Amino acid sequence: MKGLHICILLAVSALVLFFADGLSPYWMHVAIIAMYYGILAASWSLLAGYVGLFSLSHMAFASIGAYTSQLLINWYGIPIPLSMVAGIAMCCFVGGLIGWVCLRMSGPYLAIFTLGFSEIVRIAIATEDQVTAGMAGLHTDLLFPSAATRLPYFYTAFALLAVSLVLMGLLVRSRWGLFLRAIREDEQAAGASGVAVARFRILAFAIASGFAGLAGGFYAHYIPIITPSMGDLDEMAKLLVMAVIGGMELLPTAVGGAFFVEFLLEKLRDLADGGGGVHWQVPVLGIDIELHNFDQWRLPIFGVLLLLTMRFARNGLITPFWLHFMRLGEARVSPPPAVRDLPQKDPGT
Amino acid sequence: MSAGQELMRGEGIVKRFGGIVANDEVDFVVTEGDLIGLIGPNGSGKTTLINVLTGHLMPDGGEVLVRGERVSGRPPHIYAAMGVARTFQLTQLFSRMTVMENMLVPGLTRPHSSWDEAARRARSYLEFLNLAHLEQLQAKNLSGGQQKLLELGRCLMLEPKVLFLDEPFAGVHPRLRDELIHRIEELHRDGRTFVVVDHDMESILRISRRLVVMARGSKIADGDPAAVRTDQTVIAAYAGL
Repeated sequence: MKGLHICILLAVSALVLFFADGLSPYWMHVAIIAMYYGILAASWSLLAGYVGLFSLSHMAFASIGAYTSQLLINWYGIPIPLSMVAGIAMCCFVGGLIGWVCLRMSGPYLAIFTLGFSEIVRIAIATEDQVTAGMAGLHTDLLFPSAATRLPYFYTAFALLAVSLVLMGLLVRSRWGLFLRAIREDEQAAGASGVAVARFRILAFAIASGFAGLAGGFYAHYIPIITPSMGDLDEMAKLLVMAVIGGMELLPTAVGGAFFVEFLLEKLRDLADGGGGVHWQVPVLGIDIELHNFDQWRLPIFGVLLLLTMRFARNGLITPFWLHFMRLGEARVSPPPAVRDLPQKDPGT
Repeated sequence: MSAGQELMRGEGIVKRFGGIVANDEVDFVVTEGDLIGLIGPNGSGKTTLINVLTGHLMPDGGEVLVRGERVSGRPPHIYAAMGVARTFQLTQLFSRMTVMENMLVPGLTRPHSSWDEAARRARSYLEFLNLAHLEQLQAKNLSGGQQKLLELGRCLMLEPKVLFLDEPFAGVHPRLRDELIHRIEELHRDGRTFVVVDHDMESILRISRRLVVMARGSKIADGDPAAVRTDQTVIAAYAGL
């Protein structure tokens, strides 16, 4: 049955929405934050995985979206949805500008450039406390101020993630998506094939930054306070780990990575609760392992997981499962013929 | 020289890399129906000239005109849109994309193109190049010769007026080289214009209708292959004199 995977996804989504009410407030919060990171991981994967632009400023764009949205509310009293749209527009503009400035950069040069930009944004927000409230944090207006539970936020985050994925999915499946992948593979050959490389690179930066701005805008109106640390390097590293562990060359696997990392981080926090230490006994060897301050060990564990992923599963841990899932219901095809066969046609005829 | 309409003109092309003059006031004209062999010893400036004539390098002096329109300084996709296609000295494919996707990229950059139309044309060119059975394979899995053929196919998807092929026979199995020559000749008979750079003199002399020789950044001969190969300046350049 063709499209079985879509039916399964829709069914699972319906179940999640139906039973979301049953989640504890804590796990519902974790799920909402996972969806926030999901939008960010997918949009970063659009930029880094599809176009090959390894940007380290993605979280900076999330904070630009968040601060723009709240500051416009503070200054002009505009409604939250409108301020979020303005935040997205601002991110698209600044993202396009950054894309234009670093047109000739790639690899480590691009990474260092965008890291520099990210730090400028963070320090500017922290320093301009007259405007941004600096390190004390800017108090924000909530999207649903009278909501008794987090459920409306859950549904909103779910809708934003779904819409973002659909829009990005349509983009990568369009001819533009094909051009973006061609640019990732070989910019020179893409240009020779008629692809306007500069235009598409700028476009990719603008679109990915816009989605980061959307996520940032949502975050600003979910958590009642935003701080400059929202766009710091730790957050960027966390996003990178999510996308790489999930699989940065596919949008759904990047989202899967965001969920996996966010939920596992919280689960490990659970383990650490009640004393801050974890005690294991290795059964055969009889060795006792005791980790004090296990909470601090959660991130190094992900560092190790990242290293193992890069070494043994460079396409991400979720990608093989996702590809298998995508083939559900499809008829099996015979393998392609031998690759290195010489042409069968006689050159002389 | 062919008597067709002028397609491209490089006027007084100068290109320097630091203190090295790779192209020193080179004039190069391509007319419709040409099949030009561009030869010269290593470092004579052939690839630099192609890079300038296809928009991949900005000339330090001189001008490039495509059908009378000045295009030097504009990006490569503008050249492609004006019917100038090229392959690269070291094959540059979209390695992790399938053979079909490699063909679709240039096909879909053409104005008013659709997926169906581009896929139909791609299949027909893949058939022509004997690659149709490999269309779903990633390009990196093709053999060297097949990669050269695919690169030619990708050029053809632009429906170009002139094709620059940079060392198409380098490192290719003799049978595939013959296949490639056969395809180039067939396309030329159908009215395509080619500029072929290669060190394989036998192949170049076999297909060229006009031969251009470069040495030390300058054009030293241009004309009928039979006449050029007996030119004393050319013999001296190849002998390193």
